[in-house]
Amino acid sequence: MVSWQSRAAKLISRLTIRQALIRQLSVPDMRERIRGMERYFPDIPPDVKVELEPGLSHCDAEWLTPASGPTERVILHFPGGAFMTRFVRAERLLLARMCRAAQARGRLVFYRLAPEHPYPAGLDDCVEAYEQLLDLSIAPQQVIISGMSAGGCLALALLLAARDRGLPMPAGAVLMSPATDLTSRELEGSRSANAARDAVLSLEQGDQIRELYLDGRTELADHPYVSPVLGDYTGLPPLLFQVGSTEVLLDDSQRCAERARSAGVRAEVEVWDRMPHGWQALSFAPESGRAIGRLVDFVRECCP
Amino acid sequence: MNAVERVARSDPGAAFMLALRRDHAGLSRVLREMDTQAHRLTLEPEQARPVLVDALGYLLHYQHAHHHPREDRLFARIQARDRSLYATMQQLSEEHQTGELETARLREDLAAATEPELKGSTGSQLAERVTNYIRHSRLHMRHEEAVFYARAEQSLDTDDWETVIAGEVPEDPINDLERLSDDYPHLAAQLGLTTRHLGLSETVGPVNAQLRAQMLALADLYGGLFQDAVELTRLNIGRVMAIRGPTSLAQAAGAITTDNLRFAGQCLVRPSRWAINAGAGLLVSALSSDSQQRDQRQSNGLNRE
Repeated sequence: MVSWQSRAAKLISRLTIRQALIRQLSVPDMRERIRGMERYFPDIPPDVKVELEPGLSHCDAEWLTPASGPTERVILHFPGGAFMTRFVRAERLLLARMCRAAQARGRLVFYRLAPEHPYPAGLDDCVEAYEQLLDLSIAPQQVIISGMSAGGCLALALLLAARDRGLPMPAGAVLMSPATDLTSRELEGSRSANAARDAVLSLEQGDQIRELYLDGRTELADHPYVSPVLGDYTGLPPLLFQVGSTEVLLDDSQRCAERARSAGVRAEVEVWDRMPHGWQALSFAPESGRAIGRLVDFVRECCP
Repeated sequence: MNAVERVARSDPGAAFMLALRRDHAGLSRVLREMDTQAHRLTLEPEQARPVLVDALGYLLHYQHAHHHPREDRLFARIQARDRSLYATMQQLSEEHQTGELETARLREDLAAATEPELKGSTGSQLAERVTNYIRHSRLHMRHEEAVFYARAEQSLDTDDWETVIAGEVPEDPINDLERLSDDYPHLAAQLGLTTRHLGLSETVGPVNAQLRAQMLALADLYGGLFQDAVELTRLNIGRVMAIRGPTSLAQAAGAITTDNLRFAGQCLVRPSRWAINAGAGLLVSALSSDSQQRDQRQSNGLNRE
């Protein structure tokens, strides 16, 4: 049964975020609206300390440290937001909750956004953030990569890029409804079947988002760093995908996981019945706590 | 030679701690599966119950039988070095004992319940007990890692480690699903799954699906009108704020009236259009469902003849 809190959140999302995505809002308008919605998200718990140093070359990033005895684990998290915007407070709270439960330090990377900084600027920031962890002598076996939506795409792209550059692999990755296919192929599978059922996302402006992210170089969409579903997953660490059954991005997770498994990588998909895109960040919904509990179990499995 | 054996040769203390942490990794994997099954216990008891019974059996025969005694030895040595940890250590050791009792009791109660009982209030109570068990186990692990695991490697010396490490420890069966399936086949089968469905979908007939689609379309429709209203209000406020004299007042009044009337028209037209489309869609769906049922009945009749 879907909780009443999640049902209410779905209705509100359908009336606001989905409408904003259906309409051709300008990027500044979209960001302003999201800032408006963000006011209603609670702040992080007071026992989680936020620090900015050491920073990254081109973007802001935060260290989140829970007071209750963090271990050596680090969760490197990339927020979502269609590569153009982000829910700062919601993602910070999500990471803080994950860190408290996993007794890990969190690294929240505010990678550069399109259209001001098109691909590969955002991915470069993510790679730099991972390299920085290694430079700080944090063992890769203690690092978990995490990403939500567009951030999930960047998380997978980071894994592929790190592997290609010969960097040591992290312990695992948790991907929350990642957008892994930016090619402009016809809408099929869940992108078509769930087009009306998805309470948050609408792909009506999908082409425009891709154009802005790639700065018009749409031929890049076939590159695995842009569409990780096309990548070779050989040598990647264990992956856990969480996705809602009514999301347009359902198949993005399933196709990626299949590809990973065919390359010998342990990849699990959790399909959550009728949960909206990004429900893990809805701190007031019981399914959010349950999802985080499960993500953290996976973190412990990968980072003993 | 695996990682634990490699570390064991160079640093027995570190190897011991790594083995304990790996036990927590195995425990976390089982807790995640128990969480999956606890939420479907009342709906699909025939599938969930054997997995939960297996999982609790594994916890009793490995985690409680082998992991906790090693932890208790570790706690005792750390406490000998740091008396301030006495209360915490007592609490964690007590949790090991009560946890073992609760694991055994829960397993017995799950195994003893009939399927109709599991579908009713007994099933709900057992599911809640499993959920509480998972929550307590997670908190217990966090507590151990924060208080004792973090201190162990810094505060214990060689003599301490010799005392703590004493005794053979069997390999955790969770690391080999084939081996696990010898004793816990239902648990092993579930752990090997690549896709898990959390929450169970409602079964809906074609009319219900159609009705649901129309309700979603209605929500989208009102979402659109709501957004239009917000934008119109913002526009109108801008117009009112721009009034500087009689001429601009007249212009603003005209523009506001025109736009508001247009919006009011949309408020009437769009829901009416939705009602017509939805009615037609539902009618077609109901008729096709009827004809399918009639065909089915005829085909059943022919089969009988």
